[in-house]
Amino acid sequence: MNPMRVAIIGAGAIAQRNATEAASSGACAIAGVFDVNVKVARDMAKRLGTAVFESYEQALASRDVDAVLLSTPHHVHKSMTIEAAAARKHVMVEKPMATTMADADEMIDACRRAGTALTVNYSFRYTPRIQKARELVEAGALGEITGVQVVAHQFKDPGYWMGARSNSPDDWRSSREKCGGGYLIMNVCHTIDYLYYITGLKGTRVYCEYENSSSPGDVEDVLSLTCRWGERAVGAISASSILRGGDFGDERIFGTKGTIILNGDGLSMYSTRPIEGKKPGQLHTYRDFPSVSWTGEWCRRFVAAVREGRDPEISFREGWENLAFITAAYRSQEVGRPVEIPAWTKESELCPQ
Amino acid sequence: MPVWLANILGSVYTRIPPRMRPPLKRAFLWTMLRFQSVTSRRPVRQGKRVEFLDFEIAHLEPYEFLGPGAQEVLVDAVASCVSPGTERAVLMGLPGARRRFPYVPGYSVVGRVRETGKNVGDIAVGDLVAGRMPHSSAGIMKTNSLFKVPTGIDIDQASFLELGIITLQGIRKAGIRPGDRVAVVGQGLIGQLAVRLARAAGADPIVAIAASRRRMGSALGPHGAHEFLSLADGRAAITRLEADIVIEAVGSAKAITLAMEAAKPGGKVVLLGSSRDLGRGLDWWNLAQRRELTLIGAHIGALPATDVSAGRWTYKDEGVLFMKLLATGRLDLRDLITWRPRPDECNNVFEVLAEGGREHVGIVFQWA
Repeated sequence: MNPMRVAIIGAGAIAQRNATEAASSGACAIAGVFDVNVKVARDMAKRLGTAVFESYEQALASRDVDAVLLSTPHHVHKSMTIEAAAARKHVMVEKPMATTMADADEMIDACRRAGTALTVNYSFRYTPRIQKARELVEAGALGEITGVQVVAHQFKDPGYWMGARSNSPDDWRSSREKCGGGYLIMNVCHTIDYLYYITGLKGTRVYCEYENSSSPGDVEDVLSLTCRWGERAVGAISASSILRGGDFGDERIFGTKGTIILNGDGLSMYSTRPIEGKKPGQLHTYRDFPSVSWTGEWCRRFVAAVREGRDPEISFREGWENLAFITAAYRSQEVGRPVEIPAWTKESELCPQ
Repeated sequence: MPVWLANILGSVYTRIPPRMRPPLKRAFLWTMLRFQSVTSRRPVRQGKRVEFLDFEIAHLEPYEFLGPGAQEVLVDAVASCVSPGTERAVLMGLPGARRRFPYVPGYSVVGRVRETGKNVGDIAVGDLVAGRMPHSSAGIMKTNSLFKVPTGIDIDQASFLELGIITLQGIRKAGIRPGDRVAVVGQGLIGQLAVRLARAAGADPIVAIAASRRRMGSALGPHGAHEFLSLADGRAAITRLEADIVIEAVGSAKAITLAMEAAKPGGKVVLLGSSRDLGRGLDWWNLAQRRELTLIGAHIGALPATDVSAGRWTYKDEGVLFMKLLATGRLDLRDLITWRPRPDECNNVFEVLAEGGREHVGIVFQWA
């Protein structure tokens, strides 16, 4: 299979990693790099042994480009995707898909009209630990899923929001308008994606309280939400980027027949059933997962899907559903009550904000 | 073990870190079994058995036991019948059935004698026998509760032995006479056995009553009930029955109430299901007193083992009768066996049972 020729758009910290992983995945060939910061684009292109595009338009006009990999600020995902679709380029966009549901709908419309594929970088689901959790759920370790509890706390220094960690500094992360929100849309979105992936359930109703306690700008750095998953499961997420004293992450998925725990110990599973030949009624911990490139896996699976003419595993639907959860959570605080999370339908372009 | 020694060991045990306790306990039991083996001159034998590890968790586990002592035989299991009510009650921790885990379920097994202890009478190696033993590949049966399986009897049906005895003593206490109108509340295994034995005793008609219709097929089979009523037919249909005798084979307060409603004034209600429920606030006046009902408790625990005073049937008598009914074809249970699982399927078997058993009636593990 010939590699897909990908233009790297954005040369910030995440873009560097995405480009390197995409190139080494074997599924993508880097066709060039573009960033508004010409110096970082040049540095990156030099390191990757590729060309520099002088403009986004130039990248889209290139006949040597099949797809763009957008690692750019959230608020420009929409316009860049629409332009790429118009130029018949496939789109690999960093998470979140967009900052509003209306933007996401426009992106989907554009890609559908152009017949181009779109994928969102929720590649954490390809980490062996998450794959294992999904395998266990599919093997029946949990029975019917009854609940999800997430604790996701860490410390992000104020400079993170100001772009101080990036080689292409910009303070867009601290702007609710540009970022779409704060810690929830920036980081917890990954957790929501892989919980959707593991459980096969989608959020249906959510109530969230959030606050900007001490971080720069107007984005939230602490939040707590409760939500319904599917019809019968309930759960909660407690998260912040201001926890002092070390990261604290623990994700638990409960079912009628067992529990899966994802935390610093790896993956632990308790089941009343003998899953994978393991004795029921005991906590089994899986620790030694192979080191793999989840971004590389994301690229491989996307390219394979495009070549085979099928929808990517993480298509615009997954991006849209993830954003639907997040925007409903934000909305719930604004209106002061739980908010129904819109379900994906074929008419999703018309989905209300 | 003397109590003082058990107390000392218990005291020491509680001071050991929890994580260390299971391996130490296993080592202690391993040692004790070998000590007993030496002192009693009975060899250590190995087998596999079903264990309830915790609520709603069954698993096939290896285990060790001593060879047969006096009046005991070592039996290699061929088939073991699940006692759905009792085993489900323990598995789920229902009232009256709270047990410590791990718990070893099962008490109705057919197998072949591999070894005999002393004073076992006419039991010989190679005999096919039925008796009390857990769901296990091999184990010990005591000769006082053991029955030779007559040649030609289907082994799976013979494994119903203990459940057959439980039901027979209830039927006997019901005092069924030919032509009695009998209703049986509950169409699990005991309920359906009661229907068949009531029919053998001459009851006519027999009405099977169940919460749903999922077991209607086997309840109305060629050896089963004449009519079937589910709760969906409405309470009125049940109270109109006016049965001479009602056999309650569920063990819940709701089912007992229903049984009393189904009885005619002056009728009898036999409480055969092992009660796993607490009933409060019942209208005893209208249910029982005003209608002069006779309530009869019928549990196998009250069945004498050896006392054979006039008019009493013993455990042994009932077991012999059960085998005789099977051997003569007067009792045919083949169509009650709805599942013949392998022992290593026990986790799934008991999961299904915990959920209510679905359409299953008789479940017989196949060990050979």
